[in-house]
Amino acid sequence: MDIISSWIGNIPEFALPFALAALGLIIIERSGVLALGAEGLMLMGALAGIGTYLVSGNNAIALFSAMFFAALVSLLFAFMVLVLRINQVISGLVLVFFCQGLSALLGTLLDWTNHPVPGLPDISPWLLADLPLIGGLFRQNIVVYLTPLVFLLSGWFLFRSVPGLRLRAVGENPQAADSVGIPVIGYRLLAILAGSALIGLAGAYISVLSTKMWIANMIGGRGWIAVALVIFARWSPWKALAGAVLFGCIEALIPQLAASGIRLPQYFVFMTPYAVTLAVMIWVAAGKSGTSSQPGALGLPYVREERT
Amino acid sequence: MFENVIKAPLLTRRFSLELRQEMAWYWQAMIITASLAAGVVISVLILMAAGVPAGELVNEFIVYTLLDAESLKSVLYQASPLIMVGLAGSLAFRARFWNLGLEGQMIFGAIAATGVAIFDIGPTSMRLVSMLIAGMLGGLAWAILPVALKIRWQVNEIVSTLMLNYIAANFLFHLLYGSWKDPKSAFPYSPQYETFERLPDIMSGISLSVPLALVISLIVLWYTVISRSSLYLKFVDKSPSVAIATGIPFTRVILFTVLMSGALAGLAGVMITAGQEGRLTHSFYNGYGFSGILIAFLARNNPLAAIATALLIALLFIAGQSLQVFYQIPFAMVQLIQAILVICVASSDFFIRHRIRRIASGAE
Repeated sequence: MDIISSWIGNIPEFALPFALAALGLIIIERSGVLALGAEGLMLMGALAGIGTYLVSGNNAIALFSAMFFAALVSLLFAFMVLVLRINQVISGLVLVFFCQGLSALLGTLLDWTNHPVPGLPDISPWLLADLPLIGGLFRQNIVVYLTPLVFLLSGWFLFRSVPGLRLRAVGENPQAADSVGIPVIGYRLLAILAGSALIGLAGAYISVLSTKMWIANMIGGRGWIAVALVIFARWSPWKALAGAVLFGCIEALIPQLAASGIRLPQYFVFMTPYAVTLAVMIWVAAGKSGTSSQPGALGLPYVREERT
Repeated sequence: MFENVIKAPLLTRRFSLELRQEMAWYWQAMIITASLAAGVVISVLILMAAGVPAGELVNEFIVYTLLDAESLKSVLYQASPLIMVGLAGSLAFRARFWNLGLEGQMIFGAIAATGVAIFDIGPTSMRLVSMLIAGMLGGLAWAILPVALKIRWQVNEIVSTLMLNYIAANFLFHLLYGSWKDPKSAFPYSPQYETFERLPDIMSGISLSVPLALVISLIVLWYTVISRSSLYLKFVDKSPSVAIATGIPFTRVILFTVLMSGALAGLAGVMITAGQEGRLTHSFYNGYGFSGILIAFLARNNPLAAIATALLIALLFIAGQSLQVFYQIPFAMVQLIQAILVICVASSDFFIRHRIRRIASGAE
């Protein structure tokens, strides 16, 4: 019973990075830009968050700086795909490799590796936190409570507001959007910056609030799982949130299993998030029915002069 | 006049982009060289910012590596697995398959070969050959699932191959921290291979892996340029729908090509464990997956160009190792420099395909 309630209490901590990263990816991909760089941007966010905390000692500044630096690095990606029109798969991969190299290098040279940080205190609303079994869900830091709000706002923006409609139009059919005067490149640039900031926040959540230190390559494939999550969720924020909770459940189970004393081969336990991702991908692809809700122009560069 | 400039869309202001039809090869070569040079300049600046004196860079990258016979041998030695992963990457790209699972395939290749060594399978005289074959089969086996899923259900191979890398790495740790751990070593290493299980040196200290890599490059060159399959691959690359309509064995070509890609990656794994390392270690594959993709991209999937690029990257690896020892610069620097070089070379494509024309102000 104790194990189950502490497992449930840990789920938000593990689900949150997936949720924020997937939301950021959805915003970018809805504008028609294929974003594979999440793993790299999360690493940059994680490093920037820890670095800023070690310098400033303030968690809020650390999280905002992570968002800023992830957006800053994404300018390189935006330059590659929007201006130079390099293949978006190559650009995304190169962004990941670039960030892996840069973050590992800076983390060592600036001596930010393995310095523990305190994280944020939990907020426990009266009564809710004392509920049996699910009380742990209400002993979380402020970021967890704010995340549903971020999802609500993003969902409203994408599907209920005029700029959101334009953003989706740019992703579905940039030619048509351009012909009614929507600045295609401008929307895509803003989508990349905003989405990358969220992905950076996801990374900083892992380093500053969850692991509470920086270790090179600490994201360990979570960015790629977020990429897969967006595909399962068919580019819908709410389904992505549900998927993130599912992966949060699985990841939160790993330390519980280790603590419970059940003898399991630990490296097989570590494999589970990746194996589950693969299994869900197969399940979704095999059961694919009818129309796909993938943005129509996903992965295609838009060049007015090359209109076909 | 001023108003016109303001009304023009952001990126077309004052400049217009035109598509170029064709460009003479020497111009193309000049642009690519210039972009590589730009990448080198940026890398040098980063290295200097990280604390390497500018004068030492020439020594580290050229004098100590190319002008010294022993180091030159180690560059060649380092290049052979890089050639293999580069060829593996380019083979898969030719079949329009993003094989990011090179590291997983290397791991399973090396595990299969180490299994042959640990369990003493086959006569000792044939041991090395059977290890090389086991390595190819191991890599091939680890490529079956993603390519089958891609063909059958269009499962995104970028994500599936990457997930399989993480799974393979965890399986490797399971072995090396468990039953395959060398009790004599404090590190998660397998027991040392016997002498007859290691790639021997042939003439003047050059390892057997060097000629092996060259022979395999020639086979890949034959497969992708001369053989009948090369024609099929061109169809698959340029237009899958035409390929299917004209009755080309579409599925078979993709399947075979991707499996060969996995086999070459597996062989690269054996080249490292039976070559440089002499045992299975927990990090032997680090960085090779990325380098393979990069070599394939820089070499435009051309096997001969892949050899040249792999030599260049090998130089970078060797210099990076010595920078690590003498200046405490993390090996991640090598990855960063590779990424910068790719960005620069990829950018050169833009200048080859487009002409930027300045529009005289007020001309609109």
